[in-house]
Amino acid sequence: MEQKLIDFITEEFLSDDDDPITTQTKLISSGLIDSFSLVSLQTFIAKEFGKKIPAPKITAQSFDTVAQMMEIIDQF
Amino acid sequence: MFTNVLYFPFLMVSALIYWLLPKRGLRTGFLSLCSLAFIWHFDPKALYVVLALTLFTYGMALLMVRSQRQQLYHSIGLLGLLLVLIAFKYLGFLTETVNGLTSFVSSLPQFEIEKLFLPLGLSYIIFKYISYLTDIMWGIVKPGRFIDFLCYGSLFTTFVAGPIERFERLKPQLESPRDRFQVNHLEVAFFRIVIGLFKKLVIADWMGYFINPIWQHPSEYSAIIRVAALFGYSMQIYFDFSGYSDIAIGSSRLFGLTIMENFNNPYFAPNISQFWRRWHISLSDWIRDYLFFPLSQGRSSKLWLTLFVPVIAMGLCGLWHGAAWHYMIWGVWHGIGIAIYQYWNQYKRAHKKRMGWTKAKWANNLGILMTFVYVTIGWWWFR
Repeated sequence: MEQKLIDFITEEFLSDDDDPITTQTKLISSGLIDSFSLVSLQTFIAKEFGKKIPAPKITAQSFDTVAQMMEIIDQF
Repeated sequence: MFTNVLYFPFLMVSALIYWLLPKRGLRTGFLSLCSLAFIWHFDPKALYVVLALTLFTYGMALLMVRSQRQQLYHSIGLLGLLLVLIAFKYLGFLTETVNGLTSFVSSLPQFEIEKLFLPLGLSYIIFKYISYLTDIMWGIVKPGRFIDFLCYGSLFTTFVAGPIERFERLKPQLESPRDRFQVNHLEVAFFRIVIGLFKKLVIADWMGYFINPIWQHPSEYSAIIRVAALFGYSMQIYFDFSGYSDIAIGSSRLFGLTIMENFNNPYFAPNISQFWRRWHISLSDWIRDYLFFPLSQGRSSKLWLTLFVPVIAMGLCGLWHGAAWHYMIWGVWHGIGIAIYQYWNQYKRAHKKRMGWTKAKWANNLGILMTFVYVTIGWWWFR
């Protein structure tokens, strides 16, 4: 699940010259992902994992790293 | 309200009695009663609206969790809340707009609807209750006890000008049985209230003293002075509103309640998207969660997501501030700004090798300046 998220983020939001991301890479606070891109991330999670994450849970504080995303996904 | 001579004596006495009460439930009940008394004092009619809305919303919340038709009761709840908002706030505006459009054709009838009074704090409480019902549907929060919900909706420290707190954040604080008075509450409260009063009464009001005459009689001043007045207004509205938020947050702290922050140096934002994460944060979070996300879900059209969603969401955000076209234009201006920023981001992503300069310090500072100027131009419509 983690790897699928990393692959999606790498393919959708990063370019070839960006460093590879890990589960601890800060994505929103570092500016790699802007808040508008979170909608497509939410859609991906719903389609791929069958988990509908409510918008208030997708914030820069709680959804900043892949590890944090995994924690939230597990709650739903 | 905060500058009313009665506000601080009322705040101090109610906070003192609040902490003298032995039980959490009693305190919450007392705080609710104080809040209702506050609303009644400033706008007696608003009290009936608040009580009716609270009973209606809580009833819908209970129906949502106790029946199988959660979606239906959520829709009824939202529809009811929006109809109340439209009836009190937008009916006159809508009638004038329709009449304006039909006036071109003499055979079409003109509508005459008497404008209803606008209850104090209506826009804020409606947004709070919409988030409450939607969060229940999303499984983020449970309806909670009625007394906690009443306190959430009517809390006098945030009732008039926010922040638009979420029940999810306030509920655990209201339910906590071990809540005790701490000196820290007093320190934080005092600090925030003093800062807020300074921003509001010293900086904002002082700036208004110089700026207001220019806005009232612009033709008497040169173009440079008028532009300076616009930039001055940009600072005035920030200090005024963030001062209000400081006082609201500090006042709430006197009751041991931690309310979300509403401002975070917005004029240092390097782009318009960041600006809205720092300006009136509780409103922009609300717009993001309950308008932007739902409007975007299930849509793949780039044009829809990049242009239409921000423009629609921010246009409605503008209308929330007041029932007039100029507020909507202000919102659309910001929506267009966000759309341009999104296109710029897409361009940057596609041409990353040539875009290294955007990470330089000077580019960041240029972004701050451009954002400040863009936002300031927007205030021209807002005012």
